[in-house]
Amino acid sequence: MNKPVLFDINWNACINCGACVAVCPQEEPFISPFDTIAIDRPCDIACMVCEMICPVTTITHRDAVPSDYPEGKVTEAFREGEKRQN
Amino acid sequence: MPDFSYDIVIIGSGPAGATTARLAAEQGLNVLLVDKKQELGAPVQCSGAISRHAMEEVGVEPVDEFIHEAIYGFAIYNEKGEKKTIDYRQLAPEKYGPEQGKTPLGYVVDRRRFDRRLMTLAEREGVETWLKAEAKGYEVLPDGTCEVTIHHFNEVKKVKAKVVVGADGLQSIVGKWAGLRTQIRLTELASCLQFVVDKVETEGLLEIITGHEWAPGGYAWVFPKGYGYAEIGLGVVPTFTKNNAQQQVDYFMKSSFFKERFKDARILEVQGGGVPLAAPLKIQYADNMILVGDAARHVNPITGGGLHTALSGGKIAADFLAQTIKNGNDFSAKIMKGYQDNWLEQLGNKMWKLYDVKTEIFKTEDIPERDRLLYGTMSDYFSPNSEYKKI
Repeated sequence: MNKPVLFDINWNACINCGACVAVCPQEEPFISPFDTIAIDRPCDIACMVCEMICPVTTITHRDAVPSDYPEGKVTEAFREGEKRQN
Repeated sequence: MPDFSYDIVIIGSGPAGATTARLAAEQGLNVLLVDKKQELGAPVQCSGAISRHAMEEVGVEPVDEFIHEAIYGFAIYNEKGEKKTIDYRQLAPEKYGPEQGKTPLGYVVDRRRFDRRLMTLAEREGVETWLKAEAKGYEVLPDGTCEVTIHHFNEVKKVKAKVVVGADGLQSIVGKWAGLRTQIRLTELASCLQFVVDKVETEGLLEIITGHEWAPGGYAWVFPKGYGYAEIGLGVVPTFTKNNAQQQVDYFMKSSFFKERFKDARILEVQGGGVPLAAPLKIQYADNMILVGDAARHVNPITGGGLHTALSGGKIAADFLAQTIKNGNDFSAKIMKGYQDNWLEQLGNKMWKLYDVKTEIFKTEDIPERDRLLYGTMSDYFSPNSEYKKI
């Protein structure tokens, strides 16, 4: 289990190719309006395959914080990640 | 109450979706074809190579509107630059050539124009088409049909349909609505980048460059692009290299046996995308739903070619839907499975074989041996007496 992350995309290099979405193991659509993975909410899986497949390496991430979650409601994966760190 | 009602709603107007739409309408179905884009085919994520017979099989006439350049054969290179040329102008000069009465083997097409043409042909068969129309979800209704929610120029529209066809490409989400496992493994998705360039000569051949050094996990290509332009690209599989596709193209252009040939290349377009070198989806159907084209991973796992397979798959889907919808009112997963069975029989089983060949090659750990296998397979694949039935 990885610690949940929030992805960021540098749009300057993004070619909107959709490769990051195609390798994403999230069961529910985890997408932005620009054919990329979502950047408006944390990824609880944090497998990073989207970063690896990007032809122009323009996806980055940081550790998710509670305020990244809708209404600050953190998920079980987030609490687990915090526990392991402490 | 839904605002609109059709026999089928097709999400995505690429080659697979538009072909399904056209051939289904031709057989009397009432079809809605939607695409979220404002211009089809853009941004281009495809080299645009397609054989002539792929178009003929589904009744698409090659026209100037979308043809960039005619193709007459192949040149396959190994990692050292030694090549095998398969030029049908020499192999069968009575049939293939630029002269009157002869034909090309295939074409490099402009995907923007090609996709637009395919939509036009669908419209002319009576298909209703909406651009700037993004499908948001579907719900199976108690009466055995389904309702698709579509945002069309900011307006929310509910569309009732018997079957929804997911033709939404590599980044497909339609399958996910029904819980289908559409994820492609990282080891099976080639990360591709290509440049359309000026000042690189080509000779009417698709050139394929193998070798781990140039394209780890994939291959590189140089295709004629018309008007004196060429396309230089490659695909890498991330588990084979730390370089991204962009760095690898740069290395290929500056350091390979083609560095002299490429030294004056001027980049006119940057295109890229993911190409599944994967097995087709194991389940390509659900209640009131089927998937076609890239969305179903209908891509040749050896060449990464997806146009021929998209058109053929579209025809299989259209024929199945026309028959199923005329003959009954059960569109449950059990019935929709018939589409996949037809597809496997007509196309899929061959693709599974190619997938096994490809898997054998890339699980070889010794790099020189893997290079030798890939070069051999590519050379065989494109030869006129290929043991691999062309798909």
